Amino acid sequence: MQAPRFIRFLSGRRLDWSLAALALAASLAPVAALRPWTADLARLVSVPLAPVSHLGVFLRARVRPEQSAFDPRAPETLALEQEVRQFRTLYEQSRLENERLERSIASLAAVRARLDGTGQRLAEASVVGMDASRRDGAARINAGARHGLRAGSVALVSGDILVGVVGQDIGALSASLIPTTKLPSLGVRLYPPQGSDPSTPLNSYPGAMLKPTTRGTWSADVASTQPLSIGMVARLADDRFGRTALGARVGTVVAIEPIEKAPLARRVEIAPLASLGDFATVVVVVESGEPE
Amino acid sequence: MRWPVYIVAVLVAAAFDASFGAVLAVGDLRGHLLPSVVVFALLSAPRRIGVRLAMLAGLVADLLAPIVVAQAAAVDGGADTAELLVVPGPRVLGFALGALAVLPLRGLLSRHNPLASAAATLVFSMLAAVVFVAIFIVRGWVVDGGTPWWPGTGGSEVLRRALGAAGDAILALPAMWLLARTRSWWGFTVMTRVSPGLARQGGVNSA
Repeated sequence: MQAPRFIRFLSGRRLDWSLAALALAASLAPVAALRPWTADLARLVSVPLAPVSHLGVFLRARVRPEQSAFDPRAPETLALEQEVRQFRTLYEQSRLENERLERSIASLAAVRARLDGTGQRLAEASVVGMDASRRDGAARINAGARHGLRAGSVALVSGDILVGVVGQDIGALSASLIPTTKLPSLGVRLYPPQGSDPSTPLNSYPGAMLKPTTRGTWSADVASTQPLSIGMVARLADDRFGRTALGARVGTVVAIEPIEKAPLARRVEIAPLASLGDFATVVVVVESGEPE
Repeated sequence: MRWPVYIVAVLVAAAFDASFGAVLAVGDLRGHLLPSVVVFALLSAPRRIGVRLAMLAGLVADLLAPIVVAQAAAVDGGADTAELLVVPGPRVLGFALGALAVLPLRGLLSRHNPLASAAATLVFSMLAAVVFVAIFIVRGWVVDGGTPWWPGTGGSEVLRRALGAAGDAILALPAMWLLARTRSWWGFTVMTRVSPGLARQGGVNSA
């Protein structure tokens, strides 16, 4: 008896107003109130969209191929250059890792515990959807917890370019990626384009904490007397993103300017090497062992 | 109006925007298909369900566009990182207001004219954008939960979304033509008002 009356009451304009009030409440709800359920709801909606989105991304990759496809040089040369870059990244990774271990030798036991627990591997994932409202928005990939993906795992393209980090809302078969240009901070070291000199100590290469700008780039204040030049390569030197990501290329220095208030420091602007929105597939770091 | 057809159209449009739509972008001028689908339905569906169907599309758009908020512990190691958050509401309200603006225009617009539909789409998208930005500004005051345009400013976002609304209107031209070809699937009821007159009263000539 009550239900029909209630349904009659909640119809027409009243229903519209009720839904609007509900939407307003959800819009202004705190993060803690939204986090437990909205991501699941979004995943539920994204499931029927996945085939169409996948087809769309496939077509987009055909209509507007990734920029490397337009490179006029021979493909084998490109492949070799990419291999060189990957090995250089591995080299920088090992150097950074070495420095990190030396720095934290006092807590060797803890480090060993961390190392023992890491069984990571790389896996390719397809981008099955992007935030349609912005170019630098989040992307959805077809890899999830079932593949060993964890929050904070990194996503790479072209072998060693860091483009994103896996967000918290990981589903069984899909997950969202936060673009690197949306991360509040990113610790990097700046190297010459040809890479670091093995005989030069790592401290000679300036470190920087990148902050995003409104132009889709990063800026950082570099307090170092070392020479800085346009074209220097920023490589990840941030322990928060795991060992595998260390040394990955992030961007290149596109502008250097002095800071009036700090004569010994300079402000650099770094442009990302790649944008998450331009790629149909990414390589993600996944755990090869059992999820914790 | 057949709701299942509308729901499928909304989902396909959202999927199109989230995947192939990037190809149609020229700088910040980027058209979206979803507003065209909503406006197409608004121009022909019964008025009483207009706001509701717009809100449904807004909900889908909200769910597919998570925002990045600064948050601790998204990455091992602690603070100063980011996480994704889905906020269902800003586009729901934006689309609702857009629908409230488009519904009274139905009488003034020829629904078979793509230019008129594009104009309606422009109005719809502009209002939806204004509400979207306003909601997140208020949200920033109330809960400080981050904004989708970070590290940009609200002003730049309004400008960007105004360009986006223009893109929506441009995309609406071919989209409306295409949607008009599927009109028979939607089950719209065409109500034609018949005015009484001598010819309809009969017997004028026979008298």
